Amino acid sequence: MSEDPASLHHRIKSVMIDELMLQESPEEISDDEPLFGPEGLGLDSVDALQLVVALEKNFGLKIADAEAAKGVLANVNSIAEAIESGSA
Amino acid sequence: MRTILITGANGGLGQAIARAFLHESTENRVVLGVRSNREDADVLAAENADRAEVVSLEVTDPAAWESVVSGILDRHGRLDVLVNNAGFHRDGLLATMPRKDWDSVRDANLDAVFHGCQAVIKPMMSRRSGRIVNISSLSALLAPMGQTNYAAAKAGVIALTQSLAKETARSGITVNAVCPGFVDTDGLADVDPERKKALVRTIPMRRFGKPEEVAAAVRFLAGEEAAYITGATLKIDGGIL
Repeated sequence: MSEDPASLHHRIKSVMIDELMLQESPEEISDDEPLFGPEGLGLDSVDALQLVVALEKNFGLKIADAEAAKGVLANVNSIAEAIESGSA
Repeated sequence: MRTILITGANGGLGQAIARAFLHESTENRVVLGVRSNREDADVLAAENADRAEVVSLEVTDPAAWESVVSGILDRHGRLDVLVNNAGFHRDGLLATMPRKDWDSVRDANLDAVFHGCQAVIKPMMSRRSGRIVNISSLSALLAPMGQTNYAAAKAGVIALTQSLAKETARSGITVNAVCPGFVDTDGLADVDPERKKALVRTIPMRRFGKPEEVAAAVRFLAGEEAAYITGATLKIDGGIL
């Protein structure tokens, strides 16, 4: 099933792919797939920092600290929730 | 317009680096970071009024870095290149080295590079582009006696450079170090002529380096052509090592 390119989830995935130079397409990243660790996308701490900067630049999402980042950056769903609620 | 921040810009090497960027392109703007002495930087800025400016920057003070970097971003909208050039040495044998000589040399040569990199890294990450060139020293590789403080600090700069290069590689930022040997700047002006002769004999090229020769390497590492070079240490020493 293809995703609406205009949807928030799709835009988050596009930003992730562009900013983190991922080889995946948006369709290959599921909304609840863990971003970090061997079970998921396998991102590392360098990706996390770049993602924090990219989410602020693209969505105005300010992530307060490393503890907040852990929750927000769990997966695409959690990022979307944080953007929609307007804070992290 | 590319914006280039150079610390220690009142000294001979800082001046040469600034001139190299100014000559490279009329699209380069240099920000000359200075501490107490600023006469030469002021002259250079006056000669290039539309493309050069002097800022007061105590490199050992993180708050000063924050203020200078945010000022550059406010005025010019971007910071493309940071050249961490400021530094000094205070030589002496470790057995009798005052603690303040250890601390001050480490503060100015290593901690300052940490503060500078930390101040610019997020803006550069946000733009997904940036160049950091850290001026280390041949002393980091030769570890001469009498320079435990300076050699350790400058070796630390090389390790910081390599580690940070890995952290920022995916963000379009390169981080490199250069290690000048004996360069004919203010630092050599105070050296006794006989000692200078002896020093020259240790250099396979039998001459001191020119500041412009170091500046050319810095300019190259900061350029688009060096996009795939990161974490590198380039020695510029006339063949000593």
